[in-house]
Amino acid sequence: MLNDIVLQILQVLAVLLLAPLLQGFILKAEERVQRSTGPSLFQPYRDLWKLFHKQPIVPESASWVYFAAPIVAFTAMLIVPILIPVLTDRPLPISDMADMLGGGMVLTLGSFAIMLAGLDSGNVYGGIGSSRSAMLGILAEPILILVLVGISLLAKAMLPFVVNHTLLDKPSVYWSPTHVFLVLAFFSLLLVETDRLPIHSSTHIEIYMIDEARILEYSGPLFAILKWASMMKQFILYTIFCNVFLLPWAMAQRGTALGEVGSVLSLLLKFLVVAISIVVVETIQSRLRFYRYQEPLAAGFLFAVLAIVSSQLI
Amino acid sequence: MFLAHVSSLQASIFSLLAIFSLLLAFVMLGSHWLRNYVYAFAAESWLIAALSAAVAYFGGYKELYVIAVLTALFRGLVLPYLLMGIVRKLNVKREIHAVLQPASSLVIGALLVMFAFVIANHMNFQTGIAGQVVVLALTIMLSMKLLGFLMLAVRDEAVSQILGLLVLENGIFLGSQILVPGMPMLIEIVILFDLLIIVACFGMLIRYLLVHAGTTSSRQLNRLVG
Repeated sequence: MLNDIVLQILQVLAVLLLAPLLQGFILKAEERVQRSTGPSLFQPYRDLWKLFHKQPIVPESASWVYFAAPIVAFTAMLIVPILIPVLTDRPLPISDMADMLGGGMVLTLGSFAIMLAGLDSGNVYGGIGSSRSAMLGILAEPILILVLVGISLLAKAMLPFVVNHTLLDKPSVYWSPTHVFLVLAFFSLLLVETDRLPIHSSTHIEIYMIDEARILEYSGPLFAILKWASMMKQFILYTIFCNVFLLPWAMAQRGTALGEVGSVLSLLLKFLVVAISIVVVETIQSRLRFYRYQEPLAAGFLFAVLAIVSSQLI
Repeated sequence: MFLAHVSSLQASIFSLLAIFSLLLAFVMLGSHWLRNYVYAFAAESWLIAALSAAVAYFGGYKELYVIAVLTALFRGLVLPYLLMGIVRKLNVKREIHAVLQPASSLVIGALLVMFAFVIANHMNFQTGIAGQVVVLALTIMLSMKLLGFLMLAVRDEAVSQILGLLVLENGIFLGSQILVPGMPMLIEIVILFDLLIIVACFGMLIRYLLVHAGTTSSRQLNRLVG
């Protein structure tokens, strides 16, 4: 039996250390679909290593926000894994310090800090990136709130661990229309929040960039921290999607070391499934025009509304 | 009534099939391409056929198997084939002058579903699983009718208007399969042939329009000619 506190630390470490692997897998798989070799699975680790050993260059116009933003974003991504079931589906000691809305707020705080950093140095691209991501945030946030309302109506609780258990224990809830709609709504949210097509472009440094534009001024270790934070955000959202929404099975129940290793393996398997579906979307979709950004988000909103309507039936 | 005896598994099968056909109505609402409308309509019809078969299996209505086969055959194959023929003859591949953009029509569609749900909830008198399935079926029936009306109202192309009518009719058919599965088979067959006649008439009308007016968009046809 592992200690609960050790487990909680392990959850954070798992997110910290496995996040670049997920990013590497998606990049590799996208290249493989296009019949080229693609970078190694471990390329994001090498990139981070390289960036940590580079000299930081700070723009003259930067204020303290420039230095604080990466730290805030990174810390926010370290807090969220405490609150969600990553490795085990038992409630851990301080996993109830915030419910899902609180976790959502911490996640949004990270992107808010990066948005401020984009505006801080006065660079034109930073401003464009921040304004675009603010617009996307305005469109995406109602969906997130509605999804959280829907899932708490479904499970009668706001804690992700409880939702996981409800879906595990009651197949009729798992197969209910509400749950199907929530999964679809969260999937559209997942595409938007993890910088994927149809809104974010797949090649990053170009005129329509959104997330890359905000961090264009960064270099060296601070840039590495920001990149790592965005990979961790992706990992966290995938974890929520898999362990709370789509595939609540195969997680360690008792907390033995073997069970934890097993749940890491099952987590990687689940991510394989989700990542392949993301790769399919990225391959068949082209990037939308700026004035059509609301379409996938309107679809997500529709799913969330339908989920809440159908949750009234159960 | 057959719904009084459903188990929770049967209820969730019925609701999943019904809800996915509602989703396909939204696919039609959110797309610009005429071809996609036809594919979504065909898929919706197959889902409704599956629903009829499920009701037949769980409820013990033998004649509903025949209805399911006829639905799959006529609504799932013949009507889409005829419609694709019409789409291929037209030079129009997509709606160009939509009154509402897809995103806003999706949001309006969501509001219509909520409205349908409120109405269905008022009509419900039963409790338990049966009551839930009744409310769900009523909601989906009403919302598919409203979505059909919405398509009729905001789309200009003649083909999309036929499809609006067909979605409306699919909604009624879906509701009747769940709510009153014991309907006489003759009525169902009459409805199916009615649909064939509708599509055939529209096909002739579209040809006439193409020859005499040069367009099939209702937007171009409100000019008085004499």
